[in-house]
Amino acid sequence: MKTKIIDETKRQIDDRRGVRPQKPSERFPSKSGLVFYFLRGALHYFILCVFFSMCVSFLDMTAPKIIGYMVDSIIGDKTSDLPAALNLLVDRWLGGTAYLHAHLGVVALAVAAIAVLAAVCRYFTNLFDSMGSEKLVQRMRNRLFDHIIHLPFAWYNENHTGDIIQRCTSDVDTVRRFVSEQLTQLLRIIILIVFALSFMAGINRQLTLAAFVFIPIIVLYSLFFHNRIGSAFERADVEEGKLSAIAQENLTGVRVVRAFGREAYERERFEQKNDEYTKMWVRLMRLLSAFWVSGDLITGLQILVVMVFGAVLCVDGKLSAGEFIAFFTYNSMLTWPVRGLGRVISEMSKAGISIDRIRYIMNSPTERYAFYQEDGDIAGENRAEDTLISGDICFDHVSFHYQNPQNPDAPEVLRDVSFTVKKGTTIGILGGTGSGKSTLMYLLDRLYELPEGCGQITIGGKNIADIDLETLRGSIGMVLQEPYLFSRTLGENIAIAENGAQETDIRAAARVASLDETVEHFTERYETAVGERGVTLSGGQKQRTAIAQMLIRKPPIMIFDDSLSAVDAETDAKIRHALAGYTGGSTVILIAHRITTLMQADQIIVLDKGSVAEQGTNEALLEKNGIYRKIYDLQRSGATA
Amino acid sequence: MAENTTHTNKDSDLGVKLPFFGIPKILPYIRPYRTRMMLMILLGIGSSLIDSVYPLFNRYALNHFVAGKTLDTLGAFILLYALVLTAQVADNFVTTYWCGKVEMGVDRDLRNASFNHLQTLSFSYFNQNNVGYIHARVMSDSGKIGELCAWRMMDLVWNGSYLVSILVMMLLLNARLALYILLLVPIAVVIITYFQKHLVVLNRRIREINSTITGNFNEGITGARQIKTLGIENRINTDFDRDTEDMRATSVHATHYSALFTSLVTMMSMFALAIVLWKGGRLTEEGLLQIGTLSVFMSYAVGMMDPIQNIINTISALIAIQVNIERLTRLLHTESDVADTPEVIAKYGDTFQPKKENWEPLYGDVEFRDVSFRYPDGDEYVLSHFNLKVPQGTNVAIVGETGAGKSTLVNLVCRFFEPTAGQVLIDGRDARERSQLWLHSNIGYVLQTPHLFSGTVRDNLRYGKPDASDEEIGRALRLVSAEDVVRKMGGLDAEVGEGGDMLSTGEKQLLSFARAILSDPRILVLDEATASIDTVTEKKIQDAIKTVIQGRTSFMIAHRLSTVVDADVILVVHEGKIIERGTHRELMAKKGYYWNLYSRQYEDMAADMV
Repeated sequence: MKTKIIDETKRQIDDRRGVRPQKPSERFPSKSGLVFYFLRGALHYFILCVFFSMCVSFLDMTAPKIIGYMVDSIIGDKTSDLPAALNLLVDRWLGGTAYLHAHLGVVALAVAAIAVLAAVCRYFTNLFDSMGSEKLVQRMRNRLFDHIIHLPFAWYNENHTGDIIQRCTSDVDTVRRFVSEQLTQLLRIIILIVFALSFMAGINRQLTLAAFVFIPIIVLYSLFFHNRIGSAFERADVEEGKLSAIAQENLTGVRVVRAFGREAYERERFEQKNDEYTKMWVRLMRLLSAFWVSGDLITGLQILVVMVFGAVLCVDGKLSAGEFIAFFTYNSMLTWPVRGLGRVISEMSKAGISIDRIRYIMNSPTERYAFYQEDGDIAGENRAEDTLISGDICFDHVSFHYQNPQNPDAPEVLRDVSFTVKKGTTIGILGGTGSGKSTLMYLLDRLYELPEGCGQITIGGKNIADIDLETLRGSIGMVLQEPYLFSRTLGENIAIAENGAQETDIRAAARVASLDETVEHFTERYETAVGERGVTLSGGQKQRTAIAQMLIRKPPIMIFDDSLSAVDAETDAKIRHALAGYTGGSTVILIAHRITTLMQADQIIVLDKGSVAEQGTNEALLEKNGIYRKIYDLQRSGATA
Repeated sequence: MAENTTHTNKDSDLGVKLPFFGIPKILPYIRPYRTRMMLMILLGIGSSLIDSVYPLFNRYALNHFVAGKTLDTLGAFILLYALVLTAQVADNFVTTYWCGKVEMGVDRDLRNASFNHLQTLSFSYFNQNNVGYIHARVMSDSGKIGELCAWRMMDLVWNGSYLVSILVMMLLLNARLALYILLLVPIAVVIITYFQKHLVVLNRRIREINSTITGNFNEGITGARQIKTLGIENRINTDFDRDTEDMRATSVHATHYSALFTSLVTMMSMFALAIVLWKGGRLTEEGLLQIGTLSVFMSYAVGMMDPIQNIINTISALIAIQVNIERLTRLLHTESDVADTPEVIAKYGDTFQPKKENWEPLYGDVEFRDVSFRYPDGDEYVLSHFNLKVPQGTNVAIVGETGAGKSTLVNLVCRFFEPTAGQVLIDGRDARERSQLWLHSNIGYVLQTPHLFSGTVRDNLRYGKPDASDEEIGRALRLVSAEDVVRKMGGLDAEVGEGGDMLSTGEKQLLSFARAILSDPRILVLDEATASIDTVTEKKIQDAIKTVIQGRTSFMIAHRLSTVVDADVILVVHEGKIIERGTHRELMAKKGYYWNLYSRQYEDMAADMV
């Protein structure tokens, strides 16, 4: 097991360092490959569904045949033209036409029995379709989610959240419909057409030909139309999105709108867009109406042709009344499926785009492995339990710039940064916006990978690139400036990273983070739901929750990335005092704007435009009369005023 | 603590029941379309009658041509058929097109009405309802109601009249046979209603799980950094898999019902067919029923289930839409608790049609006179009998702990809320004597969390002053040292992205500063605005602020005490109440809460200063 991890890690490092070809081969080179991958465990349901659907079609075909037979040979006196075997059946078991003539109820019972059998098959058709469809969706979602949360951090910045979510929801749904509705429906319609065709041809070939001439016309017409209207629908969707965005922005920015007295402008903007959107839809509706009624027209004409031609054939004696009725019934059974065929085909063509949009996600290389492993949850297996690392943290000539496709010459965020944090000490980092403080921490936590030749970062002498990610991140507790709370309870949020955390641990962590008093204000205390569906916490409350969340893990390395910025000075001081007693032997990295937050650190680094400008203890830096001193005086000026 | 409002209004009113499905409530919005809707109903009835007549052609063909072995009337037959077909096609075209028009018209009107109404509602509404909830009212409720007024109504009319007309037709053709088939109708209704009820409940549950799953995706993406730094991918993944399994199980469970349902309904129509064959066949054989008529009965019997099913579906849709009607009309009827009086509107105009010619200039004298206040959703007074005079040009600073209620005063100055008792005077006159728009047009405001609108940098900066020239914009940018930010972005024409997400918080803040001072407001409100900018940038801003607040009345909410020492008045807020006020010097001399706050913040530093 252990060697496997090392091999994988090595391979990943090799990949990153360009030993292997730059562009890793795609995991799913083809659309069908991805669909079949998702279909695992669901395919047999769809096969069963199609099978039962065939049975349904066949059973549905028998009723008109029985009707025709009854009209002609039971009520009428035409000699039966049923296959010999069936005639034998009628004579042997059902008492012959004469008996049936006297007991029409038997025929009715036969129809009812077929109806029951068809109902059973129909039930299984739908059930298996749904089972397959749900299995497919479940697998798609699970695989996507699993993949997404293992993607490298940079990926989230390169891709818009809304877009990814759309891929995971509406594109997944498009693929589901492609398989479970369109593909199965296409098969069903084809089966139905084939069955109907053979039954109708068995009655009269000429009439069948006349009826079937219309089918390609209807299908091609609706195909043409749907392709044309497809783009109109897309445009309407885009317009709706714009309108929705205006409303959204207006609501989230309600304070700004009010404070600047711009209600009239907002109203005008919204009404204008709303009007455009409405007009677009009305135009679309006109097109759709035209399409629907022209479909009605073609169908109506087809029925007329069948009726008139059938009547002519009857008068010529080539068709009996019963056959006429049966044929007419088959014909009407085909009307709606055939009219739907064009729509199904044109919708199927759209699925390709959705599959590619999902493929894009599934083909993005994950963080741990350049080549994604089959299914099993990656992080779970091979995990080396409780192997936390600690030691001196050493930044050794680290330079870095973010990859930006639009701007390849992006300036370096970090330039030749070197410093060491001794194990168990506290270091403070001070720097302005864009000085690279956070980037430094992201590199340490390997949210971004440090490329080859850009220096190295070591912990306890070991290059972090060689440390298993799980172990690395388990050893580093990082509190972000703008933390994210999960929609769970407050207590669950605090304990989320610590399996088996007790109520007392949660309380202790909350106390150190100075969160306990806030919690007392909530009626449900630690059971209070937070995040999207719960109580909205203030920035400071969120930060303190995140601090508690980190503290409960007691990691050997603790990073506070400007995580006290939204907390007032007094609380800030309170937390720092409490922390001093809690951190134990942990190495602490404190990033802050406030000198008071940093001044007691064992060592302070001043970052300026990506380089270490000053370094030393508070006293040493004050004496130096540099940037630190300047900022100190700025912040101090209030006190001396 | 207005920010800690719980949003529990989401699904509490799902089981709502209104008289007549709530339709009376939306009548005012349908009025403009009533003539067209009447015509649509007539056309719909016409269309359904034509549809129910079609089998008669088949009957004629069977009875006359097939059984009679003659083609003498074939020409007339084709002509009549063609006429009926043309009529039906024309009728259907007009009906569906008009349906679309009415649907979109009602939809648009309701959306405008709700959006415009929202522009006049006060902040307490927005504090009590979250953005997602309100957004759904504007964007989706209106659509559902539009659909109700067009398609749902037509569904009822069409299917109702179709069902009636085929029943009448059958009774006319052969009453005895018709009665046999009618026996099936109540059975069908019972079955369909039973399943419909179950399916509605199950589908609601599925939708709920589905939205949880979408929420999970959102969490996995927006919370990615948190997940990674905590190393909890596994845990999040397991929880996700549990939700999708729940979804799958519930959906399959629902399919047991829906599959049984469709199978039963189709089976029922086949039973109807069996009855026709049995009883009708006998009649035909006895010569009491022509063969064509038997065939018509078969068509009707099989086709009867569809309208019944459609009607029941429509009714359950009507029941579901009640919630949307209730929610949307509740929004439309919500009255703003901050509203201008008719007299004020008469003189100064309303939000949408200001009468700027009657607006007096604002000088910036603010006075709180015996003000008592509690938030509309709170029960405790946060201000009682509060008096404060802020002559024009005075700089007021408000300090206190996180969540102590520092925004209250600012909300009152901006008239986002009105005093429960007492008065806020602007230039010596009660704020309520002039319009909200007048006041807001004269206030510059910087939010705690800066908010930009998607669009260009210029659009955003000019938000409060649409006619500002580039020179004015440049001046404002220079004042707050934000020129670098704009230059880095690529000039005034650069897009800021949705919600300004192309910019960092600090940069957004700088721009919102420039935006606030661009219109040269007499009153400036700075709401915890300096919290997330680094010291050097903050210093720049503070220097700029010192210049811009010169000669302006300002209210500044600040975290850092160093930023407030120069203020003319400092108000100290604790647990929602103002407990101290005075200049820095006075408050320090008093050795009270402020002194305590102040010395604590600097105790570390003081120790070092020696």
